[in-house]
Amino acid sequence: MKTDRVLILRPCRMSDLPSVERIAGASAVGITSLPPDREKLYDKIRNSTHSLAAEVDVNGEEQYFFVLEDVATGEIVGTSGIVASAGFHDRFYSYRNEIIVHASQELGVSNKIHSLHLCHDLTGLSLLTSFYIDPAYVKTQWPQLLSRARMLFIAEHPERFADKLAAENPGVCDDSGHSPFWDAVGRRFFNMAYPQAEQLSGGRSKTFIAELMPQYPIYVPLLPADAKLAIGQLNPVAELPFSILLEEGLEADTYIDIFDGGPTVEARMSAVRSIAGSKRLRVKRAASAIGTKQSYLIANTATEEFRATIALLSLDDASGDGRLSIPPALADRLEVADGDDVRVTPL
Amino acid sequence: MMIIRPITHADLPALVGLAKSTGVGLTTLPPNEAELTKRVDAAVASFAGTARKADEIFLFVLEDTTAKRVVGTCGLATAVGLRQPWYSYRVGLVVHASQELGLFTQTPTLFLTNDHTGHTELCSLFLDAGYRRDRNGQLLSKSRLLFLAQHRERFSKKIIAELRGVSDAAGKSPFWESLGRHFFSMEFSQADYLTGIGKKSFVAELMPKHPLYSSFLTPEAQAVIGKTHPHTLPALRMLESEGFRYEGYVDIFDAGPTVECDVDDVHAVARSHEFKAEISNAAPPADAVMYLVSNTGIDSYRATLVAARPTGASFVLSAETAAALNIHAGDDVRAVPLAVSDRH
Repeated sequence: MKTDRVLILRPCRMSDLPSVERIAGASAVGITSLPPDREKLYDKIRNSTHSLAAEVDVNGEEQYFFVLEDVATGEIVGTSGIVASAGFHDRFYSYRNEIIVHASQELGVSNKIHSLHLCHDLTGLSLLTSFYIDPAYVKTQWPQLLSRARMLFIAEHPERFADKLAAENPGVCDDSGHSPFWDAVGRRFFNMAYPQAEQLSGGRSKTFIAELMPQYPIYVPLLPADAKLAIGQLNPVAELPFSILLEEGLEADTYIDIFDGGPTVEARMSAVRSIAGSKRLRVKRAASAIGTKQSYLIANTATEEFRATIALLSLDDASGDGRLSIPPALADRLEVADGDDVRVTPL
Repeated sequence: MMIIRPITHADLPALVGLAKSTGVGLTTLPPNEAELTKRVDAAVASFAGTARKADEIFLFVLEDTTAKRVVGTCGLATAVGLRQPWYSYRVGLVVHASQELGLFTQTPTLFLTNDHTGHTELCSLFLDAGYRRDRNGQLLSKSRLLFLAQHRERFSKKIIAELRGVSDAAGKSPFWESLGRHFFSMEFSQADYLTGIGKKSFVAELMPKHPLYSSFLTPEAQAVIGKTHPHTLPALRMLESEGFRYEGYVDIFDAGPTVECDVDDVHAVARSHEFKAEISNAAPPADAVMYLVSNTGIDSYRATLVAARPTGASFVLSAETAAALNIHAGDDVRAVPLAVSDRH
């Protein structure tokens, strides 16, 4: 357990590529937003750098990619990202859970039939992606920073994002990568295992595969038992990031991944806890604040120089000037000067 | 002598008896007296010319005039689906292809349709097991085609017939087990029965409305799509010889095939002719072939089989046959060789 460390979240730089490549290699099957491929990771970092530098009025093709850095050692121990618009330039496919009621008054029968409808509902939503944390940090507070610093970034730069937020989560599969959902649905149209199909699609978007998927609704009662069970079922490897998002207020009932049936969570930005509960405050570099201290996620208001961390703060306005006192060491880590603003949300 | 004639109210007990002996799968003849009474009422009104087209059903019986026994029945519904929706699955195909990925997948589909709405239907065919001999089956089934030929203008341009799909000895249909059962927790035999008593559209309303990928069904279910129950294969062969073809429509419950034909192309319609009746008790000529012959009436309709070799415009009938057909010398008769291969 590495509880004594201080970590900071910042935008990924090209110099992080070797570290990110190592992380991508260790990340679970199913986190397709973090491919273990140097060229793709290079593009990902470059896109993020460009996106952060760009002036954005309306969310578009921007992608943001952050890393979690151990301040003492400079080691990269996690990644997370945001896609400004899901399926930009094209479509973002999901299956939507629907209940069709088949009823006959005459026969005194009413059946609720669960069906899956291929849809583009989530196209254009902002998407949380690329979550990975070094297993040594799983039981610490740092996964909270890694996931939720993105909420602070969104809260600070709403013009860069949609008014709804979503995140895909990996579905269940066995050790050899076989997904019962894929085997029962996609495989009938591809006749190959999912990892193969993904590989075959090469650098293309999932959309490319999606267009070959069944377009008519799928009647769930017709699926084999293991595929039914896989609908909306989370792969245990993603328990941590998933639970953070649920606590944030994202909901998992409506959409699933079209390939492995994993749950896709979504919410209005205004309903996301760390966004709605965040505050923008002016900073005063002061040795120590007086009052009850509590853990907060705290971030600066920059884009290219975005920084976020977790700190014990008192939001009591002791000096009466409306400013938040933060110790100089913390201010330095966040790269904020006296009079700059920060955004905070309770841990 | 075996004679086809319109059903009457007096035939109801015999019809109920026949219906009770049919077993699972003959949906158009349910063993339900109230329902059969309605059916006979509708038929009587149809022959009398007082039924609406949507309700019109011409039910005939096969009577052994010697034994004075009704031993079979057959019917002709003028236009299906005008009162309650008429559902079928159309067997289709969806191709998912990507040249770039080298993918080409064909997936059979089932589309719920009402495509046969308004078509004329052959229905309610049943022959007592003891009489399945001496061409009685052909007489029973084809006699209504001769009626159709004679009263062509009363019927639709298209004619269909549903054939019983595959089920096991216990009445279990693999197609129903794989599909219908999920949407309606009942036995196939019960769904079949509800269909027979005119509630098929209610059952259909509980069935999936979106197109189905057949590949999601069990292999057993996929294997019986468009397949006829072995016991019904002779009926299929007979209809095929008359020009009926399977065009990719199947029953929504057991996936048995619906065969169809343009009425004008039905052998008995295209090849039958009107003749003038000539009464003679002379033995038929040596080259006589079996003919299906009828009078030209509606409520007085009669049909039977005779050996004949008509020459010119006249058709020779024995006095006994003429009497059984309500025909006098010089009356019009309609006749067609029973075997499709026999020419006249």
